[in-house]
Parts: sequence; C-alpha cells; structure tokens
Amino acid sequence: QATSVDRSSHSMDKSITLPPDEIFRNLENAKRFAIDIGGSLTKLAYYSTVQHKVAKVRSFDHTAKVGGETEGDPLYEISMQEEVSARLHFIKFENAYIETCLDFIKDHLVNTDTKVIKATGGGAHKFKDLIEKKLKLRVDKEDEMTCLIKGCNFVLRNITHEAFVYAKHADSEFRFQNTHPDIFPYLLINIGSGVSIFKVESEDTFERVGGSSIGGGTFWGLGALLTKTKRFDELLQLASKGQHTNVDMLVKDIYGGSYGSLGLTGDLIASSFGKSATPDKEFSKEDMAKSLLHMISNDIGQLACLYARLHNLTRVYFGGFFIRGHPVTMHTITYSINFFTKANFVRIFFLMGSSFFCLIHCYFFLLYLDPNQYSWGENYAGSSGLMSTSPDLNPMQRARSGTFDMLEMDRLERQLVNLPLLQDPSSYIPDTVDLSEDALAREYWLYCFEEALDGVVKRAVASQPDLPEAAERAEKFRHKYQHKLQTLRHQPL
Amino acid sequence: MAAESERVDRSSHSMDKSITLPPNEIFRNLENAKRFAIDIGGSLTKLAYYSTVQHKVAKVRSFDHTAKDTEDDPLYEISMQEEILARLHFIKFENAYIETCLDFIKDHLVNTDTKVIKATGGGAHKFKDLIEKKLKLRVDKEDEMTCLIKGCNFVLRNIPHEAFVYVKHADSEFRFQNTHPDIFPYLLINIGSGVSIIKVESEDTFERVGGSSIGGGTFWGLGALLTKTKRFDELLQLASKGQHTSVDMLVKDIYGGSYGSLGLTGDLIASSFGKSATADKEFSKEDMAKSLLHMISNDIGQLACLYARLHNLTRVYFGGFFIRGHPVTMHTITYSINFFTKGEVQALFLRHEGYLGTIGAFLKGAEEDNPNQYSWGENYAGSSGLMSTSPDLNPMQRARSGTFDMLEMDRLERQLVNLPLLQDPSSYVPDTVDLSEDALAREYWLYCFEEALDGVVKRAVASQPDLPEAAERAEKFRHKYLHKLQTLRHQPFAYGSLTVRSLLDTREHCLNEFNFPDPYSKIKQRENDMALKYFQKAVKSLEELSWEQRQFALVRGLLAGNVFDWGAKAVSDVLESDPEFGFEQAKRQLEERPWLVDAYDQWLERLKGPPHKCALFFVDNSGIDIILGVFPFVRELLCRGTEVVLASNSSPALNDVTNNELQILTERIAAMDSVIRSAVKEDRLTLVQSGSSSPCLDLSRLDKVLAGVVRERHTDLVIIEGMGRAIHTNYYAMLSCESLKMAVIKNSWLADRLGGKLFSVVFKYEVPPDKKHTTLDHVPVTPS
Repeated sequence: QATSVDRSSHSMDKSITLPPDEIFRNLENAKRFAIDIGGSLTKLAYYSTVQHKVAKVRSFDHTAKVGGETEGDPLYEISMQEEVSARLHFIKFENAYIETCLDFIKDHLVNTDTKVIKATGGGAHKFKDLIEKKLKLRVDKEDEMTCLIKGCNFVLRNITHEAFVYAKHADSEFRFQNTHPDIFPYLLINIGSGVSIFKVESEDTFERVGGSSIGGGTFWGLGALLTKTKRFDELLQLASKGQHTNVDMLVKDIYGGSYGSLGLTGDLIASSFGKSATPDKEFSKEDMAKSLLHMISNDIGQLACLYARLHNLTRVYFGGFFIRGHPVTMHTITYSINFFTKANFVRIFFLMGSSFFCLIHCYFFLLYLDPNQYSWGENYAGSSGLMSTSPDLNPMQRARSGTFDMLEMDRLERQLVNLPLLQDPSSYIPDTVDLSEDALAREYWLYCFEEALDGVVKRAVASQPDLPEAAERAEKFRHKYQHKLQTLRHQPL
Repeated sequence: MAAESERVDRSSHSMDKSITLPPNEIFRNLENAKRFAIDIGGSLTKLAYYSTVQHKVAKVRSFDHTAKDTEDDPLYEISMQEEILARLHFIKFENAYIETCLDFIKDHLVNTDTKVIKATGGGAHKFKDLIEKKLKLRVDKEDEMTCLIKGCNFVLRNIPHEAFVYVKHADSEFRFQNTHPDIFPYLLINIGSGVSIIKVESEDTFERVGGSSIGGGTFWGLGALLTKTKRFDELLQLASKGQHTSVDMLVKDIYGGSYGSLGLTGDLIASSFGKSATADKEFSKEDMAKSLLHMISNDIGQLACLYARLHNLTRVYFGGFFIRGHPVTMHTITYSINFFTKGEVQALFLRHEGYLGTIGAFLKGAEEDNPNQYSWGENYAGSSGLMSTSPDLNPMQRARSGTFDMLEMDRLERQLVNLPLLQDPSSYVPDTVDLSEDALAREYWLYCFEEALDGVVKRAVASQPDLPEAAERAEKFRHKYLHKLQTLRHQPFAYGSLTVRSLLDTREHCLNEFNFPDPYSKIKQRENDMALKYFQKAVKSLEELSWEQRQFALVRGLLAGNVFDWGAKAVSDVLESDPEFGFEQAKRQLEERPWLVDAYDQWLERLKGPPHKCALFFVDNSGIDIILGVFPFVRELLCRGTEVVLASNSSPALNDVTNNELQILTERIAAMDSVIRSAVKEDRLTLVQSGSSSPCLDLSRLDKVLAGVVRERHTDLVIIEGMGRAIHTNYYAMLSCESLKMAVIKNSWLADRLGGKLFSVVFKYEVPPDKKHTTLDHVPVTPS
C-alpha cells in the first residue's frame, strides 16, 4: 500500500499511485487532526512537530584561563542541535482519494493520544462513518461558516501577500496586497457549489448577508450537461479556449451597434446563451463553456457589488473552489466587478489559500489555543504555492494542482508586530523591487541565484565536514531549490 | 394573398396558425387611421394606430315651451346624432404574419395624410425596408427604452386595474391592485432576451440602473441546448411538469437538513444544477427545464430586490416576453421576490405589458395631439383582455392569444381625477365584491346577466323602432356580450378584477359598439314626464308635515323613488306587468324600520345641528327617483342653507338620468318651484357631470370640473344614492367628510348576502373620526 514512489515523478493523475510519504509529511508525530470535506474536495490538517538541526553558538568560558587569550582560540563555539518546532500541515485532495488517504494515515499514525478529529464542511456528515471506522477517531463537527470566517481572518492577518488583485494583461497577473493592519470590515464572497456572501465586521461578528445558487456547482453541473465533460478543471480549460460571442447575444447583435443613450457598448452581453435559442446549429464545447463561465462570473460579480454597495463595504475578498487560483475565473470576476462599479468604489481581492480557511480555523479550535497569540509563517519549502492554471503553462504542475496541494506553516518563536515608528504601516512595503512586476529584474535575479547555487551547495557541504551524508543532503537541497527557481520563472508568485 | 377578399364568418373564433386571418375584425376602423406605430420584438409585432369612430349618441333637447304648453307634448325631444370619437387601436400578432398584415393595411388605408410610421423594438431595423416598401410610409425609429417607459406610465395612469400580483393557489390567480394616484417612483424590470432594470421617477425622468445578461434568452437558449426543444412555450410547459430537486443541490443534500445557524432551510437551492456535476445519470428534460427556470427567476428576483433596496423603491413592475402572462414565470418571480424581500416588496405584473413599447412609440408620434392631456378608458368591447396561458385552461383561447390580441382605448371627453374627499385615495377600492375571488358570487352574477340579456336585446330593438336593421344589430350585440360573458366565466381576470360594475360597463360598451347608445331614452322620457306632473303635489304634502315627520318622509320618498329602476330585473318585471305601480305603492313595499342598515336616528340628530356648507349628491335614476325622491330632499337641504351640487352621468347608462336630461328637468322644476328657482339663480344649486357612463360609481375617476367645484365650495356632505353607486360600489368607501349612502336592495341574492330580504333598506350615515367632535359638540338648534 504505502509504496515509495520515485521522488522525481511529479505527474500524478488519477491513474497513478500516490506518493503519500511526500504528501503526508511528519505523520509520525501528528496529532490534532481536522478535516474539511466539501462537495468535491477534502482538506486535511494536522499539527506535528519536526526535528530540526539548528546551529547554535556559545561563548567559550574565557574566565578560566586568565590571560590565556591565545590567538588560536576561536571567539565562540558552534554546535549543531536538534530542536523541535511546531508545524501545521494542510493537504488538499479530491474526494475520490479520501479512502486511500485515510488508509495511509491509519498505517502511519504512531501517536495514540489523538481521540478526536474535528470535521467541517458539507461532506462531513457523509463521510463520518468512514472516517470513524478507518481512523478510529471520533468525528467532532464544527460550524462551517464560523470556521470559514475565522480562517479568513487568520490568513489575512498572518500571511503577508495572502490577498491579491488580478489583472490579466499586466506583466504580472497577480498584484499582491499588503496586509492591512485593520482588516475589518470586509465582504467575503465564498464561491463553492453555491455562493455565500458574508459581511465580516470584527473577529467574532459576521453575518451571511446573501447568497446565490448560481455558483461553482452550476458551472460544473451545467457545463457537464452541455459539454459531456465531467471534470471541473477540464471545463475551465475548455472555457479558456472558447469564444463566448458565438453563443451569447451581444448588444450589437440586437441593435446593430452600441445602445448609446443607455451607455451600453456593442460588445456587452445582452443575453447569455441568447444565440442558442433559435438557430439550428451546433455550438462548440469551448464556446459554451466560455459563455457559461462569463454568465456565472458576471452574475457573482454583480451580486458582490450590489451587496458591497448596500452594506457600504469597499473591500471584497473572493474565495472558494471556483476561484482557487484559476486565472479564467479571476479574470471574469474582476472584469465583472470593474464593469459594475464605475467609480472604483469597490476593491476586490482574491485569496490564495482560500480553500484552506475553513480548515485553518477549525484547526485552531482543536488546539484550544488562541491562534492569534502566535505568529505563523508560511514554509516555502513545504508549500506547493499558488498554481496558475493557464492551460498551456507548465502542464506538469497543473496536473498536480488538480490532485494534491499542500501548505505548511511554522510556528514562529516570537510574536511579530509592526515597528511602531512606521509612518504608514498599511502602505509599508519592505521590498525595494517587486520582481514579479519587473520582468527584466526578475530574469536577472533568477539567473543570479541559479548561478550562485553551486557555491551555496559547496559551502553547505563544507559546513558539515563530520557528517558523511552531508553531500547527499546538499544535492537534495540543490534539486529542491532549483525546482523552486524554475517554478518561479514560470510563475513569479 | 388577397387578404381583403376573405370575409370570415364572425362566429368563428378559433384562429390558429393554419387558418386565414379575419383582418377586418382585427384591424378595425382602418379607414380613418393615422399616426401608426409599430414595435417589432423577437417574435411578436405590436401595431398601434389612432382612428376616429363614428358613433350614434342620444341627445335630448328642450322644446320651445313658451309658445304653447299643451298636456300631450313631451317634455323634451330625443334625437340620435352622429358623434366622432377618438380611439386608439393596439394589435399584437406573431412576426410570421407581418407581411400579410402590412398588405391588408395598405389596401385599407384611405387617409393619405400619414407619411410616417414610428418604429421601435429590436426587430425594427430588420423589417424597415419591408414596411417602407409595403406601406409607403417612412420608418422613423424611436428609442426603445423611452417608448417602454412612456407606455408603462400611460397604462398605469389610464387603466384602473392594470397592475396585479400573482397568487398561484388562490381561487383567482390574479389579484389586481388599485392604481396609486401618484404612480412614481417605481422600478421596471423588463425581462426580454436579457434584463433591464429601470428606475422611473417622473414622466420624463428615468434611468437604467442595472441589468443582467441572464434573462429570457438565457432560458430559451440554455433550455434549447439542454432539452432540444426549440419553442419558448414548450420549454415553459416542460418546466411546469418538472422537479427541480432532482437536478439542483439543496441545502439538505449538503448538510443533511437545514443550516439552522444561518437560517437556511433544507429545501433551499444551494447550487443550481449542482447534482448534474457529479451524478452519472440522465436527467429528464422536464427537470432540467424546471431547474433552469428557477435559476433564472431567482436570480432576476434577487437583482430586482437588491436594486429596489439600493434605490429605496417599493413598487416593482415586471414585464417582457419572459413574463407575458405565463403563470409559471410569474409564480417563480413572485416566489423569489417574496423570499428575498421577506414580503416588503411585491412583484407586480401588468395586464398590457406586451403593448408598452407600441403605446410609447405611438405617444411619441402623437405628441402634438397632447395625448397625455386626456383621460383614456379601456374599451371592453374591442379589447381581447388578458389571456391565461395555463396549459390546460381554455385551449381555444390560448391558441388565439398566441396569434392575435387587441386593445382598444377610447379617448374620454373629460379628464378624470380622484374625488378630493376620499379619505385615502391609495387604498380606495370602488367595488364591494370582487367576483374574480368569489366563485359563488361570480356564478350568480354571470348567470344573472345572461338571464337579463333577452330583455336588454328587446329593449334595444324597441328603442329604435324606425330603424329596420336594429333587430340585426341587436342580435350582434347579444352575440358579442354573450361571448364576453363566456370568456369571463373562464378567465374572470380578463379585464382586471371582475365586478358587477365591470359586467355592467362591458354591456354598455357592447351596446355602444352596435349603435344602441341609449335604449332607455324613451322610457326615461315617459317617466320624467309623468313624474313632473306630481312634483308640486308631492312638495305640498311634505310641507304640511311637522319638521320631524317631514325629514322621515323625505328619506322614505327618496328610497321609494329609488325602487323605480329598470336596471334591476325584479323591478323591471313589476313595472312591465303593472304599469300602474305608483309611488305610494313603492313606499308600501319598503321595509319598515329598523332597516337592514339603519342610521336614520343619527342623521336626524345631525339635522338638528347647523346646516352643512355644501352637499354633493350622486343621483341615480330618471323619473320618479330624481323628480319625486331627490328633488324634494334637495329642496329641504337648500332651505336649511346648504348648497347642493348634483352629479349625474355624462352619457347614458340604463335608465340613469344624464346630465343633459337633468338640465332640462331642473329648468322645468325651477319654473314651478321658487325655492329651486332662486337656488339655481343664486348658484346655490349646481349641476355637474360625473364624467362617467356607468350605472356604478368609481370615485377615483371623476370629472376634473367636479373635483374643482367640490373643493371650491368646501363640500362637507356626500350623498350617494342607489344600488349601483352605494352598494355594488362605494359601500365601504371612506370619505373625509360626512356621507350618506342610501339604497333599496332590489336583488334577492344580494339581499340574502347582506342578511336582508328583497326591498331591504340601507341607510348608512358616516362621520369620519376626526369630524366627530365638532358634530357631537354642537348646540342643538330647535327647528322652526
């Protein structure tokens, strides 16, 4: 069952075996499990401790040898120590894998203190029995929406650059937002199967002010009926290749041009699917998928704007699996919002780890500790990062994003806050050059870091002359960092 | 196709796609037509034109009595005159007929002044060349949205029961709304291919505040792709048979039940089409169509509600082909609006919404005629009425509604406004019983009107003894009215709420249509003649009574006079079988006190107080009623120092006295009675027209002049007399001044309903709460 798969194989599609030891890391010490089962995706979280080598320096005791300050003695002593640090693991996979995953966890779970698994999401009740049978843990349900909001508050506060605006034709598609010291109030549009719209006013005050049944499930469901394509990602890929104007009736199709007196441009969609009503012709899957995507994104964008205006909110965050870093959906929603708010009234942001919010919060419930007491940092090495699902870009990774996705966070030793002397904390940006927006600079620095890698590896090996496997580990480091650099070249986010 | 040669039997009402048009029945009065306007939509064309209709009207004229005053001479002369009436014609037909229709119009258009046809709608540019070629008229395009709004304002202002709410499971699906005197501001949601949301603030101020691409075209387009069904109507029919729950993912499908903490019930749709994403099964066409309909209706409802809230509007009207009388879409939209606004906003639909664009285009073209200066009334005889498209209901008519539909509106002589004395004009409903909601009452009255039809036909023929074709015309009238009654039996909502008033008005419109403007003219003349001879005697005997006896005798006389009413079947039977039935006998027929509704003591107490400033008296019948009942009563009021305004019908209805006749009667009475004479001379007795030609009374549509007089004279008493005006209508009307409603119930069914018997008396005296103090605190004055 727990087959070890060649580490270099990154293509995992439905048919191939999981490399679970890469995905469920540090399971041995895992405790405090939480699971969020949605309509299509399962998100699992656990807390574990990681043994880490840390380099410590200690001053020699110079008092003993008076006057013995020989030239040859080093200033202080360097030692390698093992330290245990706390790490949060978040893994996302399709519901189809749930049984396999549970089996793997059962086989590797050493810690026997764990009695309970916190569960949330619509699917929690459906898989309750399976989880209890497999893991021998009691399933403890948590309110989904509370988890969602708390999770959102958490990531907005703790993950710098969690939120970004999306601009399709800019040099960088994603423009990250600095974490604003005061994150409230905001509107959260969670697009799962349906749409829920929350007004969040403080850590504990939120209200579901609206919703819609036209959401991700509608795109998927109607898309499946129209195109006979059953996979969500494939539907999005179809959509990205289609021409909606073949299916939609535009203003110019009715009026021969724009409708000037009402300020409607000719290219505006007057009626979604309006052209498929009468002529007896076949429409391509791509065109229908694109039209459907536009219809749904525009509708959600419009509703978001109207609720934002009604509640006088200017910050609107989008999350949920319909978004999930898909440029197509982000683009259409951004377009829709820009269309509906002429005066730049509303600023919209998309959330990177959005599908994890719920779980993140749920997780902290479980820890019985106030998550806001500590600061947490994203571990870049253990996280898969935001995947661009642009159809032609890096297909290897896209395939993976559809199946497994990971986020790891380390608890930081100390709580981190703003320097009180910052003139305007909300506009403070530490970095001088944003490489994601400056292609030339990006090219240079990526090249630079790649060039420097050899030297770094050499130095790493040299730093541990007593450890024979150091060379092997240094190669693994080279491999991983190089891979990250390559990823960043394709997706500078 | 030589359309004009096709004379089709008038009795053939089944016109489906395959049969020939009877265009002469549809395009009426084309000879004088001018000011054409056309609205070409995706599937339907709506044509409008203005024309004039020659009508016979009955006029009365006083003889010159100064020369000789013989006993045998009648009081006045009755003559039939031709009058020209302005009428608006609106016709709706499927685009497939457009060429045939244009040909027919070209062949029948005599008036050569017309140079232009106003056009609007998405199809206008497509058919421009065809229209210009066929009609030799220049096509002048008008802005679609402007036309839509103009049309909407026009129907809201001129058609009393234009707007309705839809209630699926009620006895009557359509619940008509009273038109608020101030129609602005409102939100109009026009659901065509897409959706436009328009905020209308005044006649000329409107703004498209929003819209959506998810509209009727989306239902049609996606529906066609999903079900392979190409026709919109068929898609709706599929939807009405489907179960959306097999396709939609409900809250309970995700959470196993409701999501209590968020207040989401288990049956709520969480994700439209959510089940078709993963389930590997076939879904039925019906279920998919239903789910699609719900998705679109809910979305539109939600947007409507959000825009209404953003703009602080509570009146939201829905129109466009997605709605167009389809119960399924009206139901889902209504449901959605109720869900999203929790009842704060009602979804309102319009009876003539399909015509809004044409009406607007027409109005644009007729701006120099100032059509908004006039009041217009729906002509029930020439309009086809609202068709229910319920799949199982009356398939004959449904087929027809799909092909041709007509609306005709007459320009009224006078501008109509609210009676300024209504307590709350926005909640005023003239009619006492809504027959569209009361199945038993409806059955009875429809039967009643059908039974009475023979008598009406007979009287119509008798009223025109010199005209040989009168019998033929009367038969045509019978046929048309019978057909209307049958339509109303199946679709009681066809012309708004069905009421006794609308049944009476429809009969008057049909009689006029066949040139029977006043079948009672001769009867009225004879009765007036006879009654005048008794006037002085009656006044003399009243003057001999003590003050208190006289007050009672005046009220009894007025009630007894009201028994003489040819309009009520029970009475016309007695009158026709026993012509000697006299005033005294009528008094004996009256119920003894206490009456069914008896506020006489309070009225008497009031009379002991200070006189009223001015009384407005809505009079009823000719003859004994007006001369021996009303005039002595009015005479007493004048003697008390109260000014009197007598309001009578502008044109004939049954045996009701018309303003024209009342002028002659007043002159004659003034000639023999000094009280009346000096009152007329000093302008303390005034005659005004009600603006109506109905045996009933709608206080929200009265002649503007009347309203002015009422205001000027500080009217503080309104008297309404007769069954039609005080019981069928206005029984529950609340006025801001004192009011007196008097009637004898001359219909046994109605008497039964009200808990009385035949000839029971209603004497209702009401004082509004805020006026009570002043009247109770007065110092009683002992009459001399």
